[in-house]
Amino acid sequence: MPSSCPECGSSNVVEDDLYSQRQWVCVDCGSVVSEGHLTTTVSDETQGRAVPYHASTEVLKKPCRNLIAGFSRVRALCQILGGCCVLSVCRQCNWPVAMGTIGYLLGVDNATLGTVYREFTKALNIEISTIGIMDMLESFCYDFKLGPQQVEEVFAEPPQRLVDRTSALIELAADAWIVTGRQPLPLLFAAVYLAWQSLNPTVRMKYTFVKFCKIGKAPEQSWHRSRDSVVKRLKELRDVLCKLGRELPWLRGGTVEPNTVVPLVDDILKNHRALLLRAVRNYEQQLQNESQTAQTTECDNELSDSNRSESHSSTTPELMDPDQAGCENPADKQATDCQLPPDHWSKRHLFLPPCVKNRKRQRVDAPQLEVTGDEEISDSEIESYIRSQDEIEMYLKVQKELKKMA
Amino acid sequence: MEQNNSLTPFPQGLASPPGAMTPVMPIFSPTMRYNTGLTPQPVQNTNTTPQLYHSQVSTTTALPGNTPVHTTPLTPMTPITPATPASESSGILPQLQNIVSTVNLGCKLDLKTIALRARNAEYNPKRFAAVIMRIREPRTTALIFSSGKMVCTGAKSEVQSRLAARKYARVVQKLGFPAKFLDFKIQNMVGSCDVKFPIRLEGLVLTHQQFSSYEPELFPGLIYRMIKPRIVLLIFVSGKVVLTGAKVRAEIYEAFENIYPILKGFRKTT
Repeated sequence: MPSSCPECGSSNVVEDDLYSQRQWVCVDCGSVVSEGHLTTTVSDETQGRAVPYHASTEVLKKPCRNLIAGFSRVRALCQILGGCCVLSVCRQCNWPVAMGTIGYLLGVDNATLGTVYREFTKALNIEISTIGIMDMLESFCYDFKLGPQQVEEVFAEPPQRLVDRTSALIELAADAWIVTGRQPLPLLFAAVYLAWQSLNPTVRMKYTFVKFCKIGKAPEQSWHRSRDSVVKRLKELRDVLCKLGRELPWLRGGTVEPNTVVPLVDDILKNHRALLLRAVRNYEQQLQNESQTAQTTECDNELSDSNRSESHSSTTPELMDPDQAGCENPADKQATDCQLPPDHWSKRHLFLPPCVKNRKRQRVDAPQLEVTGDEEISDSEIESYIRSQDEIEMYLKVQKELKKMA
Repeated sequence: MEQNNSLTPFPQGLASPPGAMTPVMPIFSPTMRYNTGLTPQPVQNTNTTPQLYHSQVSTTTALPGNTPVHTTPLTPMTPITPATPASESSGILPQLQNIVSTVNLGCKLDLKTIALRARNAEYNPKRFAAVIMRIREPRTTALIFSSGKMVCTGAKSEVQSRLAARKYARVVQKLGFPAKFLDFKIQNMVGSCDVKFPIRLEGLVLTHQQFSSYEPELFPGLIYRMIKPRIVLLIFVSGKVVLTGAKVRAEIYEAFENIYPILKGFRKTT
């Protein structure tokens, strides 16, 4: 090993590996004192390894695309994990936070959050306790900025009043099967909006849901994505209110329409138990009447059938199918959407989960095969699953052509 | 609201239904009509029921031609209470929707050849390391791996699954491989049914919280993990119930008979 530099005479000579070539370099003047072979022997080359990408200098200048993508995924996952931690701790401390709230704060959808949350609780062996929609209600209502100092007089609503009215509406919705199995946040939005409207209907009726969110300064990301669901819940809530509003005795059977039912909400909520009872009783009465008329017309038809020569059948032109009539009664307004079979059990109930009443696709059960599992399998059937030689040749030819074109 | 019993009478006239929370003993009587009208009627003596409740019958029968005779005795599975039908039977029969089974063809396979020479096969090695093959009857799908192992899904009954698996094995045989039919085993069975009344899932998760998981923000149904038998049930507000995780048909029926009285307790009509 050389000990002194021939150029400047300094003894400060260090070994430096540059591009896998050993060199001895003088620190003071920078001249190369001596260097090893640039090329390696054959045995060195076969045993040596190429410099991996991550150890080369390129990695710092221009990181690989996959690396960038990987980092951003890990960052997002860390954010979601943080959100799951917050969610889990809040649940354990009985402080109800909806997943949707954490979702919109992180900018992530419920499904992703849900997957990570489930894995997270399984890995850490945490017991999840369900939170009900009522638990989330109070903090949700307080989030809206509708204090008298924050908005105009006609829009202002003390939060407690809003909470009371909304909770009554949600209780009603739960009785009418709108709550179970649904996302709670769109329902909360719909209920708060209707509650706010009903507390001063004359002024507030003309404000749409979007307007209301702007007045109450609800952050747009929190309701924007679920706007369609909110609209659907509003429709369902108004329908339920109509069904009950019709039973108000002082209306004397006048029509109650969804877009004018809000002023009646106060009265409906005050007497909701009685109205529910009346509505259900009247519906059952109606069903009974229809089945009775159907029976009498059936009897008539039977008589007419037996006296066919006397052509009595002309006296009963419409055979009142009780199930058809059930479909057309005001409880099931969408008679055209009614694809349920005639004697479906849902016809007997006035209030049902909408997924039962609005069945869009008829489920068809395939006919059961009569097999034993051990029968003979015909050769011809198996042959039908195997390509002929011509087909194979054609397939290979096409594959070659496609490869040539690509 | 008060439950109105006159609205939906049960098909079999029941005595007073059990209390809401008391789990009923696994009522599993051979006199119940567990059939689709096609399989033979169950009789009292369990040893003579050939098809209905057969457990894992592992056979190593040779494939070509001959129909093998069941030489292996059927191992009895869940003990069946004989004679008296339970008075609280639901009268509803869960329908099997999907059976997943596996079988070992016993030889290494060249997936490229299979994909080239079979009409009903798809093979995308970059996406999944198996050939996906389908037959028309029974309408099923099979995943065939190069190790010779095969998964058969989509059949509606155990015997259909077995027949389908045999057909796939025959196709592989005809393609030139020395396929056998070893260790056929049913791995999972899925059933579904409708109790015909809406269910208050919030109430159910409160009273059975050690078994239930209900997160409406993630999934509209309640996930009930029954311990005995070890079955997972998906319970929906519409009254539809999906049962999965069974290795034998009897587990699905037993699980449903266990859950039905619990669900009746949460039935409420307004």
